[in-house]
Amino acid sequence: MGRHVLPVLGAAIFLCSAGPAKATGQRVERQFTVQGRPVVMIQAVTSGRIEVKSSKNPQVIVSASRASDKIAIDIEQAGDRIDVTAIILDPSAQPSELESNFLITVPEETELQLRTQTGLIYVEQVMGDMTLQSVAGDVHLKEVSGYIVVRTTGGSLVCTQCAGKLEFRSVSGGAQILQPGLTNVSLFSTSGNILYDGDFIRTGIYTMQSGKGTVEVHFSGTDSFDLNAQTTMGTVDNQASAYLKPDSHGMKHLAGKFSKGLFGTVGQGLAKVELSSYSGTIRILKRN
Amino acid sequence: MQCRDVEIVLEQEGLAPLPDAAKAHLAECSSCQGLVADLTNIVATAHLLPAEAEPPPHVWISLRAQLEAEGIIKTPAEIARASAPWWQSFAAAFRARAFAAAAVGLLIVAAAAYQLQKPAPMVQRDAFADTAMALNEQEQDLSNMRLASTSAVDSSFRQNLQTVDEFISECERHLKEDPQDDLAREYLSRAYQQKAELLSAMMDRGGSVN
Repeated sequence: MGRHVLPVLGAAIFLCSAGPAKATGQRVERQFTVQGRPVVMIQAVTSGRIEVKSSKNPQVIVSASRASDKIAIDIEQAGDRIDVTAIILDPSAQPSELESNFLITVPEETELQLRTQTGLIYVEQVMGDMTLQSVAGDVHLKEVSGYIVVRTTGGSLVCTQCAGKLEFRSVSGGAQILQPGLTNVSLFSTSGNILYDGDFIRTGIYTMQSGKGTVEVHFSGTDSFDLNAQTTMGTVDNQASAYLKPDSHGMKHLAGKFSKGLFGTVGQGLAKVELSSYSGTIRILKRN
Repeated sequence: MQCRDVEIVLEQEGLAPLPDAAKAHLAECSSCQGLVADLTNIVATAHLLPAEAEPPPHVWISLRAQLEAEGIIKTPAEIARASAPWWQSFAAAFRARAFAAAAVGLLIVAAAAYQLQKPAPMVQRDAFADTAMALNEQEQDLSNMRLASTSAVDSSFRQNLQTVDEFISECERHLKEDPQDDLAREYLSRAYQQKAELLSAMMDRGGSVN
C-alpha cells in the first residue's frame, strides 16, 4: 500500500496544509524561538546538503532551498521540536530536480535527528545526542559531543574533535576519527576503511571492525589501554611493538584457532581497545 | 449479570451493542463502567494510529537483544529450531514488508545466538540457511518492484547489496572449511543483518521514489 499511496498522501498533506511555513519559492527561511534544548529533525527523501551550525541564541533558523517545485519543503515547530521535511511531489522528476539544501542554525545544546539520501551532512559545534542517517552521502562532524549515532550505506564519516559516545555502521563507507575525546566508540563497516587517530580515554571502550577494509589506529605514548586485535584472513601490522607489553592484568588471551591475534598493553591498560578485520589489514602505530 | 459475565460479553462480542442484561449491570457498577470507558478509549486511540507502522529492522533486533538480556527470552536456540513451522504458518503475513523486516531481524539474532552457543556444524548451516532463505524471498519481492533508476541512491543501494552479497559468499566459503571460526561467523552474522537492512531500505525506496 505504502508504495503508491505515500507519495500521493505526502503531496496531499503538503497542499492541504499550505501555510506560512511552506517553501513557496525556491528558497525559504524560518526562525523559531525555543526554550531549553531543542530537537531538530530533518527528513529528506531528496538529495542535497544538510549543514548544521550553532549559535548562542535560543533560536533555530532553518534556511532551505529546493531545485524545483517538484519537491516540497515543510517546516514546522511543535514546542521545542522543529520538524523539517522534504518530500517529492513528482516522482517522475529528474534527479537534478530533486535536490534540496538546508542550512540550520541551532543553539549549542541541541538534539539532532537528520536523515537524507545523498549529499553531505555537516554538523559543527553542537552538543547533544544526534542520529544521522544517509544512504550515499558523507557525514562530517566537527567539534560535536553527545551520543552520536551515524548510519550510512555508502557514505563515509569524518569526525574531528568529537566527544562523548560514537556509534558508526556502514556497508562500504569508511570512518576517520581524528583528535577525538570519545569515551565509547563502536565502528563497523563491511568494506570501508577505519582510521582512529587520537587518544584513548582511560575509562573508554573502543571497538573497531571492518570486514574487508583496513583498521588503523594511531595512539600516543601517554595512552593507557589493553589491545586485542584479531583477523581471520587479513594481517596484523604492528608498528608499535616497542610500546606494547604483554597483558598486564594477568589475563590469558588466545587467538581463535582460525584467526590471527595480537594482544598487549600500553601503559597501565586502563582503556579497552578491540580491533578486528575479516580479511583486511589491522595497523597499529604510535603517533610522533 | 455479574462483573465476570460482563467481561465475558466484552471479550466475545466487543463493545457494541451490549445486551440489555449487561447494560443493566453497567448502570449500577462503577467498576464495569470504568472498564468499558477504558476499552472505548483504547479503541478510539487505536483508530488514530497509522494503518502501516514500519519499525526498522534494527528496532526489532535491539528489542530482542533487550528481551534476552532481561531473561524474558531465555532460549534463543529453541527459537531458531522453531523458526520453520512458525515461518510456514505465517507465510502469507510475511509478505508485508514491515513484518518481513522484523522477522528477518529476529531470525538473524536467533541464528547468531544459536551458532555462538551451539557449534555443531550441521545445525549452524541450518540456522543461517533460514536467514538466507528469508532474505532471498525479500530479494525476490524486490526484483518485482521498480528500482532500476540510475540515481545515485539506487546505484549506491545496488552496489552495496553486491558488496554484502560477495562478503557473505566469502564468509560462507570460509566457514565451510572452518565451521568453528567464531570471528568469521560473527562477520557473517553482521553481513546478514546489513543485507536485511539494505533490502528493507530498498523496498522503502521503491515505495517512496521510483
